Amino acid sequence: MLTKEEVLHVAHLARIEVTDEEIEKYQKDLKILLDEVDKIRSIEDFDDDKMFSPTDNQYDLKRESVIVDKEQILSNVPKKMGNFVEVPVMINE
Amino acid sequence: MEYKKTVGIEVHCELKTKEKIFSPSISNYGSIANTNANVIDMAYPGTLPLLNKEVLSFAIKACHVLNLNITKDMHFDRKNYFYPDNPKNFQITQNETPIGTEGYVEIEIDGIKKKIEILEMHIEEDTCKSVHSDKYSLLDYNRAGVPLIEIVTKPCLNSGEEAVKYLEKLRELLLYAGVSDCKIEEGSMRCDTNVSISKTNKLGTKIEVKNIGSISNVGEAINYEAKRQEELLEKGEVLKEETRRFDDKTKTTILMRVKETGNDYRYFPEPDIPFVHLTDAFIEEAINDLKRMPDERRKDYEKAGVLPINIEKIIANKEISDYLENFLDTNLVIASNLLLGDIQSYLNKNSKTINETKLTNKKFHDLVNKLDKKEINNKIFKDILIDIMETDQDIDDILKDKGLNISFDENLLNDIIANVINNNQKIIDDYQNGNPRSAKALMGLIMKEGKGKIDPAMANQKLMEKLNNL
Repeated sequence: MLTKEEVLHVAHLARIEVTDEEIEKYQKDLKILLDEVDKIRSIEDFDDDKMFSPTDNQYDLKRESVIVDKEQILSNVPKKMGNFVEVPVMINE
Repeated sequence: MEYKKTVGIEVHCELKTKEKIFSPSISNYGSIANTNANVIDMAYPGTLPLLNKEVLSFAIKACHVLNLNITKDMHFDRKNYFYPDNPKNFQITQNETPIGTEGYVEIEIDGIKKKIEILEMHIEEDTCKSVHSDKYSLLDYNRAGVPLIEIVTKPCLNSGEEAVKYLEKLRELLLYAGVSDCKIEEGSMRCDTNVSISKTNKLGTKIEVKNIGSISNVGEAINYEAKRQEELLEKGEVLKEETRRFDDKTKTTILMRVKETGNDYRYFPEPDIPFVHLTDAFIEEAINDLKRMPDERRKDYEKAGVLPINIEKIIANKEISDYLENFLDTNLVIASNLLLGDIQSYLNKNSKTINETKLTNKKFHDLVNKLDKKEINNKIFKDILIDIMETDQDIDDILKDKGLNISFDENLLNDIIANVINNNQKIIDDYQNGNPRSAKALMGLIMKEGKGKIDPAMANQKLMEKLNNL
């Protein structure tokens, strides 16, 4: 079982609100997930090469230019000021 | 016992690739807000990142000039955080396999050389630019997805002065590698420092100072911060890990936030970008594309006899230094004097670059050689400067049209001198009676007869020879 604080911390990192019932549920559910991760960690013959990338295909460095309509880019933005995207004031300091 | 300062520096540099790192949007500073953003930059659902090959090529060049080992098999990682400057809610970076590891930049202070060790250099994407007021924040996604390299030193610097030298050198190398504009004022180069002080070999509490707006301010910020920490420790206080920023107006550091403990970024390998293998051929191609680095150029200038102050002026102006690369077989003292002097003034006055004038390589080559061989003198050069810069005529035609060719016909010069000597016996007598001013009088007559078309230095030399052999 995770502690209530651990669940609240993870919820904060994901910026989601959780109710008391949900906290209880996640205390159990997240434990199941973490146990699964621990199984992977317990592999003794841990080969770095195999864990190097989640996919085994190599990137091919060709890319095509995608034409995008600039007008459409801002069409889904909820609030604009001129050409800027307006969001609630961000307090970083 | 004195406290020893220990400083580590993190530098972010925007790579000046044509397109962004994961989208084909144009990467350009100063465009109208949100006109260089597309669905990938704005993280529309269903979009996927497309890695830009040019970014890898530029990063390889940066690795090479910073003496870093290149990681041939690498992947990208997600750094997860919620903040409006990054609409995906994660930044794609390199946490586990940075493209460059274990390099150095050599600096010199008062003749003593020191290698500033670089721990690693990784590639990542820039976030969007935000402008804040107290009521709202405005976001411009033109910067979102601009490629960055982050260069992290080991905690191996010991003073503000070392930090300034390191940053100047780093900037110079990246600028000459052609990978970044390194303009701090436009944000294409950003410096964060970690400062700690200690009386023992064990490092003290690390305090980060961010958002320092110029290279010289980095030096001031480090010295201020070390002094502040010393005063607190002397008062018996305990320092906490925190992030501060440098305030340019007061030249002090101000607390931003106390650092979270542990790693809350939950890095994991980026599943949308397969791993990248850099082939030897690709690495070689990028490195071969590099131009000569400043230290190599400095040696050539020094060998040619260019004054140290002028060497630094040339290096500080990459356009001039790049231009000079075409003329290494000419007299570099003359070539650099022309470029730093009258040609630079002309360009400044007319707000032009060399490429925007009619000064072709051939013309510049001729010009330097003519001055070198004294076929023309500086006065004549000044007279024809505008014609050189603004017409298609070559130097010989300009001189011919203006009737300005210096006589390099030695016979003609000899005739003029002989003539002047023969017709001015009184002045010759004065000279032989020990009046030094009479030689100047003779020179005046020679120049008058030569109608400004002869080289004064050569005429003077010949006159003195003649006088001394009378």
